[in-house]
Amino acid sequence: MFFLSQNSRWCFDLLALFFLGVIALVSLPSFLFSAGYLRAQFSRGRSLLATGLTVFFVLSMAAVVASANLIFFLFAWEFMSLVSYFLVVFEHEHEASVKAGMIYLVMTHVGTAFLLAAFLLMHAQAGTWDFEGIRAAAPAFTPALKNILFGLFLVGFGMKAGIVPLHIWLPYAHPQAPAPVSSIMSGAMIKVAIYGLLRFIAGMLGVPPVWWGNVILVAAGISCLVGVIYALMEHDIKKLLAYHSVENIGIILLGIGAGMVFWSWGWGVLAAAAFAAGLYHTVNHAVFKGLLFLCSGSIQVATGTRDIEKLGGLIKRMPQTAASFLVGAMAISALPPLSGFVSEWLIFQVFFVGLRDASSGGKLFFAGMMACLALTSALAAACFVKAFGVAFLAMPRGRAAAEAREASLSMRSAMIFLAALTVALGLGAGLVWKMFCAVAASFLEPPASAWSGLLSGSWDLIRFPGTDACLRTPMIMLALGAGIAAVYLFVRLTARKRVMTAGRTWDCGYYRLDHRTEYTATAFSKPFRIAFSFFLLPYRKTEKIRDSFYHVKEFTYETATTPIFKRYLYDPMVRGLFKLAQYVKGFQMGSIHWYLAYIFVTILILVVIFGRP
Amino acid sequence: MKASLLLLQAGIAVLGAPLVSGFIRKVKNALRMRQGASLGQPYYNIAKYMAKEEVVSEATSWIFRWTPSIVLGSTVAALMFVPVFSFSLSAPGMGDVLTLFFLFSLGRFFLALAGLDTGSAFGGMGSSREMFIASFVEPVAILSVAVVAGHSASPQGGLMACSMGMSFSGMVAAAALFMVVLAETSRIPVDNQETHLELTMIHEAMLLEYSGPSLAMLETAAHTKQLIWFSLLGAILWPWPVGSSAALSDIAAAAAFFVLKIVLCAVIVGLTEVSLAKMRLFRVADFLGLAFLFSVLALVISGLGY
Amino acid sequence: MTLFLLTGIMILTYAMLVCQRVPALIQNFRLQSLFLFLVTLDFAFRQKEAGIFVVAGLLLLVKVVLIPSFLNHLVKKIRVDERLGLFLNPLLSLIAALFLTWGASVFCSWFLGTSPTAVFAAFVVSITVVLVGFFIMVFRMKALTQIVGLLVMENGIFLLASAITGGMPFFVEIAIAFDVFVCAIITGIFMYRINKVFTHIEVHRLTDLKG
Repeated sequence: MFFLSQNSRWCFDLLALFFLGVIALVSLPSFLFSAGYLRAQFSRGRSLLATGLTVFFVLSMAAVVASANLIFFLFAWEFMSLVSYFLVVFEHEHEASVKAGMIYLVMTHVGTAFLLAAFLLMHAQAGTWDFEGIRAAAPAFTPALKNILFGLFLVGFGMKAGIVPLHIWLPYAHPQAPAPVSSIMSGAMIKVAIYGLLRFIAGMLGVPPVWWGNVILVAAGISCLVGVIYALMEHDIKKLLAYHSVENIGIILLGIGAGMVFWSWGWGVLAAAAFAAGLYHTVNHAVFKGLLFLCSGSIQVATGTRDIEKLGGLIKRMPQTAASFLVGAMAISALPPLSGFVSEWLIFQVFFVGLRDASSGGKLFFAGMMACLALTSALAAACFVKAFGVAFLAMPRGRAAAEAREASLSMRSAMIFLAALTVALGLGAGLVWKMFCAVAASFLEPPASAWSGLLSGSWDLIRFPGTDACLRTPMIMLALGAGIAAVYLFVRLTARKRVMTAGRTWDCGYYRLDHRTEYTATAFSKPFRIAFSFFLLPYRKTEKIRDSFYHVKEFTYETATTPIFKRYLYDPMVRGLFKLAQYVKGFQMGSIHWYLAYIFVTILILVVIFGRP
Repeated sequence: MKASLLLLQAGIAVLGAPLVSGFIRKVKNALRMRQGASLGQPYYNIAKYMAKEEVVSEATSWIFRWTPSIVLGSTVAALMFVPVFSFSLSAPGMGDVLTLFFLFSLGRFFLALAGLDTGSAFGGMGSSREMFIASFVEPVAILSVAVVAGHSASPQGGLMACSMGMSFSGMVAAAALFMVVLAETSRIPVDNQETHLELTMIHEAMLLEYSGPSLAMLETAAHTKQLIWFSLLGAILWPWPVGSSAALSDIAAAAAFFVLKIVLCAVIVGLTEVSLAKMRLFRVADFLGLAFLFSVLALVISGLGY
Repeated sequence: MTLFLLTGIMILTYAMLVCQRVPALIQNFRLQSLFLFLVTLDFAFRQKEAGIFVVAGLLLLVKVVLIPSFLNHLVKKIRVDERLGLFLNPLLSLIAALFLTWGASVFCSWFLGTSPTAVFAAFVVSITVVLVGFFIMVFRMKALTQIVGLLVMENGIFLLASAITGGMPFFVEIAIAFDVFVCAIITGIFMYRINKVFTHIEVHRLTDLKG
């Protein structure tokens, strides 16, 4: 192929290796999980098809990350999108899957179109298709061209990553795919978009102007909040997790955006540290989101439903799934000493340094971002209390939940592996942080002397440059463990009566409460629905059927939130597009003679115009 | 030596925490012109709970049984990060104020889960409201502490170098933090510790199903958390050089100053509780929004140099 | 000699425009292809290249013998109404053709000047044939006429190529000849199928299918 020279087909530098590692970490447990999951859900032939498609999907993602050539990148990117489309519509007997696949396909291709435009522009300027050549030619690009490229890349990769308002396909596509595929899509595919952003914007276009970082930060902040608020309102567990993916992409981009801002101000070491914080959250999110999706797959196999309002009490019937989900929920809520806590701590430190050292406008901006991140992490914790509490705790709300059985061995082992990995990434934070700093430095190159201080220190220490803030997660784990153990032992030893009697939950004298008086997920999220009603625009529909004026026989109550992006942004665009198509249809007579006449006249005109001497 | 000092400090703090609650109640009762319960009433309550048998609901799981240990354990671990009156774990770089906040989140997470685990509407309601209020508290707390730390004397100061003293922005940030303290310690105007009506309790609702030693653990955790917040507030507004030496005289002086700060905090909280009424849940969101405004104001003022 | 043949081709082209029946059109096309064959033969004798003889022979075989007989066979098989639907009556068609010829001569004068040489005549005639072929495709209703129009266009292009450039490369000619043949066969099959489904091959009635 003429555009590929032999020595520039693959690129395995640190950044590519990092993302390949992320893809591998998410995909391998998913394959293990799918052995059990597919056997339980589909026939043998279909399972084989699904596995084959998933293998191609993972390979194409690896090809995207490892490619060193624009055409190859685009080819692998398209392949990845197409194969994931087939996986999304895998259960094509459900109309929801087909609809989701259509939305996903259209949006991913629009994103790819933007990427194509950017690549063509770059090639036109640099004259080569290779990354190396473009990186060498990039300093010669005009600032206007760089700005246009930035915009195109942001939209193109943002559509795949799920930045608001381009996120709309995520909550449709991720729930419909089979669970192991959802975990790979959410864990690895959206990270490939982050890889694209890093590679092209940070790795090629050089030192950015400040407003790029600001735009990314604002978009990231909005994504965080929008994602988590919509997640709070969801009761389909996979849709909830999909919205959380939007939120976590926002958090990753908060780190990366801050890094770009620092880079444009010339603070090399801090910029690399900020990028490293973003990369850390990338890995963490891949692992714990993959874990959570696998758990949701396990729930689906056991109970046949994804609606948490019909679940409950699963912790007694599916203890290992529940424990894995709890670990994942704790990680995503940034509770110490797990991995999510470390990466959010790091991003807070990034903003704190920005807050302290920036000029006054920058101070307010970073303070706003810090508050945004804090609000997001607290809302995420609330959402997972709801998800875990309603789905797993208390009493079952339906027969499906009451008769659930624990997942098979392959499913359980995959989940437990990922849970253990989450804990390990948290405990080994010092080591991991130093590795990621090295990765971030590889494409930023701050002076070596400044780095050595950062990379020194014992294996468990995380040191953030520019402050004397330190974190030692093993010590926190030790303190927690010692505290809990000491307390437990002390109380058990000193309590006079060592008995625990079983009884019924306090029922205010009503005899034998059952699951209908339990708190529902809708009720749990109601305060949030009211607090954010300016954004969610909830509405209710009621219907009364009366016997007489005084006797209401039936009352139906339905409450929903308005999907504002879909209704006010996408639906008008789609309607406008169809209107345009209707108008253009007027040209189509349906008659061959007219078409031939069009051709005839066009050719005549062209010949006359170009033939004129 | 330092480790033993740390443990001793933690032990004394945990043991002394219920006394602070008792003192606040005494202040409130004095303002209400009543005799009220004695100063050591919280201790009598805890002793009573320890002596009682525990009844655990059949609907619950291991989360319900382990939550009291986790909550108290995480609070005690958080205690080790605060410079109470001597050396704390933050000094050699184990963590900082953010770690503290997230340790509180850990306890709150499990307490909310335990509330849902009981399967009763009380617990669920309490969990929902607690998480709702916590989500508005977090940004305010983190921003206030960041403002304070950002204005600190040392240029390398991290989030624990809170040695602002009585500067203008520090005081505004402390006002914001005071509102956070009211929310986190479940005091009026956010929550009422003296009620057990389903629509008016938040923290108490999550504890409703607990009895016996578990309830004792949770109550101790609440007292300790309150002490941690007071000491944090005091350390920000009125710091005293802590942890520099292990000499007895220094420690005694630091301890005395600490007790003075706590007493002052307690008096102010008591006054607030008596003067205000408990707010509706959605007004609490406005209240915390006001606190957020204060912290932003503190940021602007510190940016101007005051 | 060449001029006589070119005139013949021109007259036959105009004659195609006034045909009212399908077999007449096909016969005209056959005659036109025959004249074209004679032109090519004449050219081959002058150039004395074996390749051109082969091309001429192919032209005879395909366009004079095979395709017209195939089209006649098709007409009989489909049993369509022999009348050729006209959108423009014959008089107006002729006037339009005169305009097309005038346009062709203007076009040629841009390249060759106005000297009335044989090459100039061939150029004008070939462009006219192409334009008339197009005209037949657009302004006649039946689908068969579209095949015939395409074939007429191809005739014109062949003539143009031979007149101006001395013929296209040998293999191109072979390829085009086969192309045309296969196109005609395929279109014939299409006609058959369309007739089977719709029982007519009036292409303008396919607008009923419009959504």
